Amino acid sequence: MSLKKYLGIHRVFLFCCFTFFTFCSQAQDASVENTDEQPLAESRATGPHIRVALLSEDQALVPNTQQYLAIEVQPDPEWHTYWLNPGDSGEPPKVTWSENTETLSFGDIQWPTPSAIPVAHLVNYGYSGQHLLIVPINSTDSLRAHDSVKISADLSWLVCKEDCIPGWATLHLQLPVDTQTNKTPDAPLFEKTRTTLPSEIELSSHYEINEDTIAIKFSLADINSLNTLNDAPWEVFPERNDLIDHAAQQQQIVTNNAVSVLLKRSAYFDPSSMTEESNTLRFLVKQGEKAYYLNSEPNTQLSEAATLSGIALLGILGFAFLGGLILNVMPCVLPILSIKALAMQQEHTGLLQKSAYFLGVVVSFNAFAILIILLQQGGEQLGWGFHMQSPLVIWLLAFLFTFIALVLLDLFTIGTRMAGFGNGLVAGNNAQSHFFTGVLAVIVASPCTAPFMAAALGVALVSEPYVTVLIFNALAIGFALPLTLLFASERLRNYFPKPGNWMVTFKHFLAFPMFFTVAWLAWVFASQQGTEAQFILLLSLILFALFAWLMTKTRLPWLYCALMILLVALPLTPASTVLTATTAKVTDVLPQNSIDFNADTLEQLKAEQKVVLVNMTADWCITCKVNEQVALNTQAVSSALTEDNVTYMVGDWTNKNDEILNYLKRYERAGVPLYVVYAGTNSYTVLPQMLSPGIVVNALKQAQEELSNVY
Amino acid sequence: MSIKRIISIGLALVLSANVNAAKIEDAAPTFTLQNSQGEAVSLSNYKGKYVILEWTNHQCPYVVKHYGSDNMQSLQKKYTDEDVVWLSIISSAPGKQGYVSADEANQLSADRNAAPTHVLFDPEGEVGKMYAAKTTPHMYIIDPEGELRYAGAIDSIKSANPADIPKAVNYVNASMDALNSGKSPEKILTPPYGCSIKYKS
Repeated sequence: MSLKKYLGIHRVFLFCCFTFFTFCSQAQDASVENTDEQPLAESRATGPHIRVALLSEDQALVPNTQQYLAIEVQPDPEWHTYWLNPGDSGEPPKVTWSENTETLSFGDIQWPTPSAIPVAHLVNYGYSGQHLLIVPINSTDSLRAHDSVKISADLSWLVCKEDCIPGWATLHLQLPVDTQTNKTPDAPLFEKTRTTLPSEIELSSHYEINEDTIAIKFSLADINSLNTLNDAPWEVFPERNDLIDHAAQQQQIVTNNAVSVLLKRSAYFDPSSMTEESNTLRFLVKQGEKAYYLNSEPNTQLSEAATLSGIALLGILGFAFLGGLILNVMPCVLPILSIKALAMQQEHTGLLQKSAYFLGVVVSFNAFAILIILLQQGGEQLGWGFHMQSPLVIWLLAFLFTFIALVLLDLFTIGTRMAGFGNGLVAGNNAQSHFFTGVLAVIVASPCTAPFMAAALGVALVSEPYVTVLIFNALAIGFALPLTLLFASERLRNYFPKPGNWMVTFKHFLAFPMFFTVAWLAWVFASQQGTEAQFILLLSLILFALFAWLMTKTRLPWLYCALMILLVALPLTPASTVLTATTAKVTDVLPQNSIDFNADTLEQLKAEQKVVLVNMTADWCITCKVNEQVALNTQAVSSALTEDNVTYMVGDWTNKNDEILNYLKRYERAGVPLYVVYAGTNSYTVLPQMLSPGIVVNALKQAQEELSNVY
Repeated sequence: MSIKRIISIGLALVLSANVNAAKIEDAAPTFTLQNSQGEAVSLSNYKGKYVILEWTNHQCPYVVKHYGSDNMQSLQKKYTDEDVVWLSIISSAPGKQGYVSADEANQLSADRNAAPTHVLFDPEGEVGKMYAAKTTPHMYIIDPEGELRYAGAIDSIKSANPADIPKAVNYVNASMDALNSGKSPEKILTPPYGCSIKYKS
């Protein structure tokens, strides 16, 4: 065969091939054009065990509006696809959108509420049965320049029963552009799907990240009125895949309009991925068919500044005013004010003299308010009477009340300077003395709480600074009012009985409410510092009274005065151990069968080969409260705790203290909760941060067994 | 060797395995499993060498992604050439997806050009649960001192699409590179992706 001929044959062959390919490509073109005429032709695809489709809610696109497309996903019965967090395995469907006019923007998938799907010992989050992944699209004005838009969705999915099959498809849809539109036959599917989407109401929420748990607390206040809530348990779905152990049980308690849920932390979670700037965690919470998103913030104790409506604020101010009024007749205040009132016989002409007492009270209350605000800004957590947590303040107040009682008893006879000082404080008659009576009245009132006051102060302490100041001033006005009226009005004073000897008797009597207050302060002191410290306080108070008496009986008043001052200042001397004795603060929230945490007592109990359960908790710790509700305060645990050789010790970390901090550090913890069970000196077990009654009872039982094996 | 015999031997061996759970940067729990040649293979035999564990199920699309693209085989060759021990573990229970007999396993290795040191059977799922293996693939790296240094995904892109492999950071390579230069891997624990392991329960 000649070369020419060879080429000739091949030319024919090549020609044939060319024609064939041209035909093929023409055929392909034809099919694309065909799609243009029948827009829905390629909008569907089928994969093994699944059908998918691209749907539009509207027949036409309208410029400048938000409209909706959706991917319809229809897995076979018993097969499922996934939510945005697929859980332990699997993969959510992914869509990449494109269109030919560059006038549309595509939003994120509006995920329907998922279900938890158990697979062996793992859990997935996803959907069984037909569902729609709705996506909002927004068009610009320049859409008007086009007759129609070709939209493509590159879709990938994973469909699973136990086995999984991935799939890919590109779905097309052509929609005309018009100024108005009718709904497509698929529109009812969109409507139906919208009823299954999570609510648009986002619930306020806080989270805590612990060593092996994550706790969240969300408020039901915003949805209470919807009447959709019931007793069914809540399911929590985190948006992050690496946050929780999906298959672990979720413990929850519902209290006061809020739900707290304790979740097992995933080993994959890296806390360093949470920064100051991005520290919100998103969850979906579901009760029955209803679901809500949470935008959860870290639980910082002071972040919950209460916001008050105007009317609520007025109500609170009213409470504060009433509380202030009632405070006048509380036993710690009444004696001083009575003396002042009775001593107030002559005219008060000057405005300054009339208002000095009022000013003293208001200035003192504002000083208190400013101190509280400053300390709060510094990160302290305070309650009313926060200064009462300081043993030094208790000590000083005990001496002050004793001193006032002694003055009332006329122990300081006329002529000594002390008497002048004392009288000046309570019974002097110039503007300056009135002012200081006001200051003194506030100081002696500070350990007392009157009815109505607690509610108002509770609000004051968690509010914006200006609300705190307002509330304290309402309290001040209420408190100052009765005596200020007496100062101002001669007619009122005329109602008082005429002065006489009865006044001296009455004054002596008033010393006793003061002594009662001292007794109460001594009791508070004992609960803070122990009984030995209380004994020292009581001895010092008696010596103080003795020296006061001696001062008026001998020629050495300065010596005794110095001794008295020394007693008052005793806790400040370097040798003193009065204020270093350690006992945890008494709290009223503990179950009755517990004792307060004390490191020495713990050592002692361990040495006695007792079983001890130590619970380190705090009022603001969500995790602690959940555990107390679901495990520690249950019947099973409390009966295990009441056995003979078992001691339940509770440390309260609500107000930070070094003794508990040292204990936590020993177990490499920086915070609460911490649960430890000791079997005497033999061994100890640190319990998980997520308790069940069984875990606690078993740990106690094991400790018991270990001890009985020793004997 | 019959499947029954493999299972019974496997069961006996597994029951003697250490029941401590695996913890990252801690001693890797020891185990003994039957390989596809019918021999018992213990992790403790490999003290002094790096060991890579690969949980696998040949029918899982995510495993297919890495075998179909030759990605897994290349890793196996690369590391077994460097005297690293590569153990492919099948925790699928009998009757479930991915479960194979010893002969089928050998056939699969030959067909796919796979080069693990051993293919091991864990039909009771005890070793898988001890290592908290969740998906196929799920990768673990144990250092010569027997400490678990990496656990998690094979790479950084969670998909069944082989086209993503070149774009992803391969965590086995990244971790081995770090370990070989005396450093700790940048990521020591990553969420694995893939099919759930078809455990017995």
